[in-house]
Amino acid sequence: MIGLKSTLNVGEVLYPFYVLTQLTKFMQVIDNSGALLIECVNVLKQKVNNGWGSVGDEIVCVVKRARPVSAATQASTTAVKVRRGDVRRAVIVRTKKSVRRPDGRFIRFDDNAAVLLNNKREMLGTRIGGVVSADLRMKGWGKIVSLAPKVV
Amino acid sequence: MKVEIDAFSGFRVYPSKGKLFVRGDSKVFRFASSKNSSLFLQRKNPRKIAWTQVYRRMHKKGITEEVAKKRSRRTVKHQRGIVGADLATIAARRNQTAAVRNQQRISAIAKAKTEKKEKESKKAKPARAPVASGPRVSKQQMKGGKGGR
Repeated sequence: MIGLKSTLNVGEVLYPFYVLTQLTKFMQVIDNSGALLIECVNVLKQKVNNGWGSVGDEIVCVVKRARPVSAATQASTTAVKVRRGDVRRAVIVRTKKSVRRPDGRFIRFDDNAAVLLNNKREMLGTRIGGVVSADLRMKGWGKIVSLAPKVV
Repeated sequence: MKVEIDAFSGFRVYPSKGKLFVRGDSKVFRFASSKNSSLFLQRKNPRKIAWTQVYRRMHKKGITEEVAKKRSRRTVKHQRGIVGADLATIAARRNQTAAVRNQQRISAIAKAKTEKKEKESKKAKPARAPVASGPRVSKQQMKGGKGGR
């Protein structure tokens, strides 16, 4: 049933590229790093590079919309503020496509969401606002799961 | 293993069955089958769909058994002993014959009369104590009433 990482059966979610057109998929950002909307550009997977990402996959993304950064907040070094046009990494935490759990259940969210990271797989923001999928824990993102207010 | 309840129809969702949907407001909905989930997403009102539990409860379908059980419980009364008299004494009193009761009454009356005579002789002395406390209480009440107002 489960076996190896069956990325074909498990929710193939975010397509950075549609088959024909070069459309890219937008996602919400649910941490307080400053970005609001990001566009997936590449899905980082070791074995398969077909451009599909699911919950717990690391992606490269472009910040499409970010919260305005004022001079005052720039001085404080609490959180790294991200600007529009930044190319960053992120991890997918919610997908609209259903993901299968090992107990056979399928889980589907209402939107696609991600949390920004730096190149060392560490979170950029300090807080997470919103629900997060529990599949993250299985893929090794325990820190994000612990920060999330609700995990489903 | 926990058996969940379907959010639309009220059916039981066993593990590995159905879907879980998390809405944008973080509310979780469980569906037992694609039929339930599809109707939910079409924003149908389960109260209007005849096979859902919500509808059945609203229209009181198939609940007559439960109602009958409740009624039968109320009619049954159990005889219980009270703190002062346990079941045995209650039964004994109930089963006394009229003759026995009459005799008890007569003897009790005779006793009471003799006791009364004895009391009347003693009543002269302790009568003052209870009478004296009476006016004290009333005076306090009057004082309290004035102070309150």
